[in-house]
Amino acid sequence: MQLLPKFEYYEAEDIDSACSLMSRFQSDGKIIAGGTDVLVNLKEGKIHPANLISVSKISGLSGIMEQDSHIVIGSHTLVSTLAEDRLIKGEFPMLAKAASNLGSPLIRNRATIGGNIVTARPAADLIPPLMALGATIELKSLDGTRNLTLEEFLVGPGQTTIRNDEILTKVILPETAPYSGGDYIKLGHRKSLEIAIVAVASFIKLDKDGMTIQDAKVILSAVAPKAIHAVSVEKALIGAKATAEVFETAALKAISDCRPISDIRGGSEYRRDMVAALTRKTLLKAFKEVMGEKIF
Amino acid sequence: MKRIIRLNVNDNDYEVAVQPNQTLTQVLREELNLLGTKEGCGIGDCGACTVIMDGRPVNSCLVLAVQASGSKIETIEGVAQGHKLHPVQEAFVNLGAIQCGFCTPGMVLTAKNLLENNPNPTEQEIRKAMSGNLCRCTGYQKIVEAVQEAAAQIKS
Repeated sequence: MQLLPKFEYYEAEDIDSACSLMSRFQSDGKIIAGGTDVLVNLKEGKIHPANLISVSKISGLSGIMEQDSHIVIGSHTLVSTLAEDRLIKGEFPMLAKAASNLGSPLIRNRATIGGNIVTARPAADLIPPLMALGATIELKSLDGTRNLTLEEFLVGPGQTTIRNDEILTKVILPETAPYSGGDYIKLGHRKSLEIAIVAVASFIKLDKDGMTIQDAKVILSAVAPKAIHAVSVEKALIGAKATAEVFETAALKAISDCRPISDIRGGSEYRRDMVAALTRKTLLKAFKEVMGEKIF
Repeated sequence: MKRIIRLNVNDNDYEVAVQPNQTLTQVLREELNLLGTKEGCGIGDCGACTVIMDGRPVNSCLVLAVQASGSKIETIEGVAQGHKLHPVQEAFVNLGAIQCGFCTPGMVLTAKNLLENNPNPTEQEIRKAMSGNLCRCTGYQKIVEAVQEAAAQIKS
């Protein structure tokens, strides 16, 4: 049996009390939400906080709502809720798709969107679609509120710019623009309980003419210390005509945008090839979504 | 320091004094003596410890007992009505969906929860819903057939 080390447990009643506990304990404190990462890391001896501060009972931290042309997702919203929610499925199908690919059904019933972001694994499932969709996050502390893009937030494997006394409270997504579409594909050995070998999320927005690519975001995951933009792919796409050839040529540029390592899940050469393949596939699917096809 | 939590397990109310580092699996097994819930991997990969918590199947090895305070829990002990097996259990027995039996409590609970939410699942939906429950005897085909059979039984 995997036993947990000893720690003290605090059930925060509201965000302020969670912040003041974190500000008191600093690096001796750790926030626990769904616990699907924190408890595994504790059992495996990877982290040793003396105090766990639960945010599960704080009302207002979970739920999805529309707010002035934005969709606001509370940080304690379950991954299974993201996969099932009608608003998310309608507005951001690639986010719902990524959520339905995270862990297993049992994990998704405990894991939260905030946990997936703060844990900052290089292969985290929700981060690529959130970056492709232009998500920002809200961090709260006793000193006030900070709003950051995920690009500003993520530093490297397990590393972010969150301070010890800060709590991730919201994920904010701009409403989907007209003539836009996206897709997320995760490559794994299995369909469930899998960490991506490579994952790609692509988002494109076309001009009113339905021909010219006005905006493009291509996010590569599990091929660098954190999810990254395929900068040269994005550059090649913006302003170009949306054709299969353009997507094909642009996708090849993803190979030089990534820096994969070889590990137990896949070799770096294989990963480079797959990055190009998945970029092409997601772009073609994103274009189909612009044209009205359902991706999830 | 121990603290008192309240749990409703299989429609019985309990007040239990637990340590902060006790998981829900441990409290069910060691404090409430409900030994049907198994611990396999202990890190949320195998699903042997599945219980239904507030209507959703979860890995009880990754839930702190203190976090479960106030929740409604269903374990394998609450599935049969006295000596009458639930249709999912009946189908597991009749179709040979049980080999060593270690994964069975989790499989039965996940399947029962699926059929409560989706009485007519496709084979693909069954496989996806059960994908967090591993069977190392690899009896998946029989398990899927048993869930299909249980769905048919419940309908009739």
